[in-house]
Amino acid sequence: MHPDSNLDLLRAEIKRLIVKELNLEGRDPSSIDDDAPLFGEGLGLDSLDALQLAVALDEQMGVRIPDGDETRAVFRSVRTLAEHVAKVRGA
Amino acid sequence: MWLTGLGLVTPLGIGVEASWARLVRGDCAIRTIGLFDAQEYRSDVAAEVSGVATPPSEAPWRWSRTSAMAVAAAEEAMRAAGINPTRSRVGLVIGGTTGGMFENEELLARLHVGPRPHEASRSMLSHPLTSTGDLLDEVLGPFARVRTLSSACSSSANALIAGALWLEGPLGDGVELDAVVAGGCDGLCRLTFAGFNALGAIDPEPCRPFDRRRRGTSLGEGAGFVVLERANRAYARGATPVAELAGWASGSEAHHITNPAPDGATISSLINCALERARLKPTDIDYVSAHGTGTPLNDPIEACALARAFGREVERIAVSSSKGQIGHTLGAAGAIEAVIAALVVARRTLVPTVGLDEPDPAIRVVHVPHVGRAVSRVRAAISNAFGFGGMDSVLVFAEPRDDAATPSRAFTETPIVGSLPRVSQGARASCVVTGVAVFGPCGMLSADDCATLAERALDSSPLAIVEPEPYLDIERARRLDRASRLAAVAAGRALSDSGAPPTNTGVVLGRAFGTVDGSAAFMHRIFDRGPRVASPAEFPNLVPSAPVGHVSIYLGLRGPSFMTADLSTSGESAFHQALELVATAEAPSIVAGAVEARSAIVEDVLAGMFASRGHYGSHRPEIAAALVVESRGAAELRRARVLASVEQWIEWRREGERSIARLMAPHGPCAEIVLPRPSDTLEGLLAASPWNSCRRTVLGGLDGESDAFGAVALAMAVGRLAMGRTDEVLVIGIAKERGYAVVLRRD
Repeated sequence: MHPDSNLDLLRAEIKRLIVKELNLEGRDPSSIDDDAPLFGEGLGLDSLDALQLAVALDEQMGVRIPDGDETRAVFRSVRTLAEHVAKVRGA
Repeated sequence: MWLTGLGLVTPLGIGVEASWARLVRGDCAIRTIGLFDAQEYRSDVAAEVSGVATPPSEAPWRWSRTSAMAVAAAEEAMRAAGINPTRSRVGLVIGGTTGGMFENEELLARLHVGPRPHEASRSMLSHPLTSTGDLLDEVLGPFARVRTLSSACSSSANALIAGALWLEGPLGDGVELDAVVAGGCDGLCRLTFAGFNALGAIDPEPCRPFDRRRRGTSLGEGAGFVVLERANRAYARGATPVAELAGWASGSEAHHITNPAPDGATISSLINCALERARLKPTDIDYVSAHGTGTPLNDPIEACALARAFGREVERIAVSSSKGQIGHTLGAAGAIEAVIAALVVARRTLVPTVGLDEPDPAIRVVHVPHVGRAVSRVRAAISNAFGFGGMDSVLVFAEPRDDAATPSRAFTETPIVGSLPRVSQGARASCVVTGVAVFGPCGMLSADDCATLAERALDSSPLAIVEPEPYLDIERARRLDRASRLAAVAAGRALSDSGAPPTNTGVVLGRAFGTVDGSAAFMHRIFDRGPRVASPAEFPNLVPSAPVGHVSIYLGLRGPSFMTADLSTSGESAFHQALELVATAEAPSIVAGAVEARSAIVEDVLAGMFASRGHYGSHRPEIAAALVVESRGAAELRRARVLASVEQWIEWRREGERSIARLMAPHGPCAEIVLPRPSDTLEGLLAASPWNSCRRTVLGGLDGESDAFGAVALAMAVGRLAMGRTDEVLVIGIAKERGYAVVLRRD
């Protein structure tokens, strides 16, 4: 499969995960912008959401989010998250 | 307000002396957990109590470790104070969060999937938060009054405050208590351990409060109790005080369900308020027993708040956290650390912060590293306790002062959250109700509609479920679980109808059993797939006080907030707690109520065990009721519509007939008695009362049974008064050996 469409699917899956795990009821996953900041502004998630997301990613996608400074970079947007997931899975 | 007796059970030792000696020495009790296998958790250390008394051979299933620790600590305090509840009127207030969770979490996990084994659920008798209070009442009582409350990690600090308010003077029934036993208890369990680990709040190593390398807290367990007495009364009977409970303050951050507000503003305000109440200044304070959990967030925020409250004195006042030695004892922390602060004052010895090897330079307080030390004097100390949901409390302890032997002093400074002058102590603020709402199968009912709950509701089918979501700002409410949503809807409507300002208002809700199904699901996941899948966002909702925290955040309520529990009179206990807070001017307004959300385990197991007539599997509607209780002065200032005035209130244990006999007689022929359900027992208690000839109005518009019906009945009573259907109402709710009665009048 073409790697770009792989990432497309991954981003879509992550968006669905975000909406479901974080109780963003009524929000259409496809309305989440790929590059919008997840935390602070943009989607306005907080540290508790980050923890919840990390557990969900571990449990449902088998991907661990590293502790520490890397976490911020990985969690910056749907795009950075998808890239991290793809990297971990591909490796 | 004097402390005449102290009791402790901590991971450092059973008893005040054993714990104190090791506290001062700098011993650390945080080590590998023995109570359960903790290998798969991020951390496997905690501070455990060893030597918890084994339960008596008769009905051992009623004794949880939590209860056993509470009995030991409460007994020590009572013996030290020399009080005897058979010869004087003594109250009991207990704070906690876990109850009998450790003894029941495996069973709960099985109940999540399996059939409901009625026979095997005997151990669930120790599960509800009220089981400890009821056990203490049996073993150490009889207590004239028993209150169980929960506000996460500030639970037992609020218990001391609630106990002090009971002693502030005769309350709604004009009867004084001679003393109050107040404190709290909590036992370690897998659920809280997994939950805190999931939040990343636990340090893999023993915690290091204020240290540069701190990574989280360590959990602990234990119990702490004090005996509180009015100074003049204790003095008269020849008791000597350990210390004075000079002041206190309780309020809410209304910020986040787990994280502290970064500006620490609520904390510094509460410190100021507590000092004001104590008639002390920062220059009088010599020590702070900090909340000091050792999490990256808490410590600097707390230090900032101390600096803000103390100004330059923060460069002098010693600060330490016992959590480096005994861990975070959760619901017991408020009381255990209060006892420690009182001992610091009484014994003129500072206790240390253990684990503080490299103080964080950003945290600028005067530390007491590694070991305790004697000092010439500790004139006064404060103790901080901050709970999930931003429910914060501050207590002030002082050397007993000469004027403490004289009747309580008056003060008129403004309280933290209001712009209203406090009433002088000894006077009572008159209480009124300015808003009510009931949300459930009947839909959304506000004041006038609540009157209709007496009749069968014609429009709704008995099994109607009304969804709260259309009434909520879904984005802001996304974290709220079912019970919190129902409560937020009812509370929000009552509050907006009343017009009371949220920043001046607290919230007290009653709930019998906590989030049982959620706890069962949480534990099932852990046993089935390991602690790593424990849900971080779900855990805060399992704390019994979660709906109170959520409602306070959702509605921006900054006043004192906590959960009360008293089986099927839980709503009544919340209403009475609110009356006490308003009557003593602790808060100008409180939203009081009760909530019950759908729970298969409550329906199939717990309800039958704790109801006076076993009712397994009977229909239990989802319902929330809320009433806004305000001081008449506050209501008049706002020109609010007063729906009802509260004339008298009584709560009792066992003394039903005698208590009802103390009720003021009804004024006229239009008085009625409002009941949440018909009751032969109640009819017996009323037989000799002048109220006996009044008509009964029973809550008839709802099918089934609910622990929230008491609050619904109160709302209905207020509605009937507001509609002019009656001039005067006596609302009574009873459960096993306990009861609550309120006389309301049309204004």
